[in-house]
Amino acid sequence: MSSSTDAGTSALPDEEILRAQGYGLLANLLARPPEAEMLHALATVEGDDSPLGAAFSALAAAARATDADAVAAEYGTLFIGVTGGELSPYGSYYLTGFLNEKPLAELRGDMARLGIARDDSVKEPEDHIASLCEMMAGLIAGAFGAPAALAEQRAFHDRHIAPWAPRFFADLEASSSAGFYRAVGTLGRRFLEIESQAFALAV
Amino acid sequence: MTDKTGKGTLARRDLFRAAGLGVGALGAAAVGLPAASPEAKAADDRTGAGYRETAHVLRSYDASRF
Repeated sequence: MSSSTDAGTSALPDEEILRAQGYGLLANLLARPPEAEMLHALATVEGDDSPLGAAFSALAAAARATDADAVAAEYGTLFIGVTGGELSPYGSYYLTGFLNEKPLAELRGDMARLGIARDDSVKEPEDHIASLCEMMAGLIAGAFGAPAALAEQRAFHDRHIAPWAPRFFADLEASSSAGFYRAVGTLGRRFLEIESQAFALAV
Repeated sequence: MTDKTGKGTLARRDLFRAAGLGVGALGAAAVGLPAASPEAKAADDRTGAGYRETAHVLRSYDASRF
């Protein structure tokens, strides 16, 4: 999946770029454990006094308090495990209790319609939280052609993200084996709260 | 964006500004963005006891034909 968010972003309003970056950041953090370089960058983030700003500050503090090896180990315990991680990051599993169920089929249908395809080298189902965040970022920024209309973004969000991702982030936030990723959970939950409020405002 | 700058768009904009998604919050973290495709995994040279996508693992994924 190519995700050059450069194309088309220049014409986007600031808040849309920030939304795309928010999704992009979540995608980055959840697709694989961040490397040292990423952690250093995160450590310098300063949020404001709002709930989301506080979540950014907490993420920065969490990034300062850990290192790449510890985060990689945590990522493995949480999402991969030996017979499965503590949390499944796949929408289908969250919604039905099984991988590769109907929600994935519906997602594949929508992806085909939107002209999004999984990279051939990837074998994981497309309903991974990181993939969904990446797709949202791409729809907003126009990585898959022109930026998608808000109605299209909203439909994708309501169908594939809203039914389970807030619960996933809340579970991540509450996980006892998470340290760094609890902060990611808080950030994701608050970010999605704002997203759904914002979609409700759009008429 | 194909919608006009209407009331909804402005209200959305205000919401995002008030929400702490303001410019600067992401500043440095956005350096890592746009995301390298999350699925485009670099060769994993990390050492440790955790999961590693070895050639063997990749072959078994291939065999499972997902």
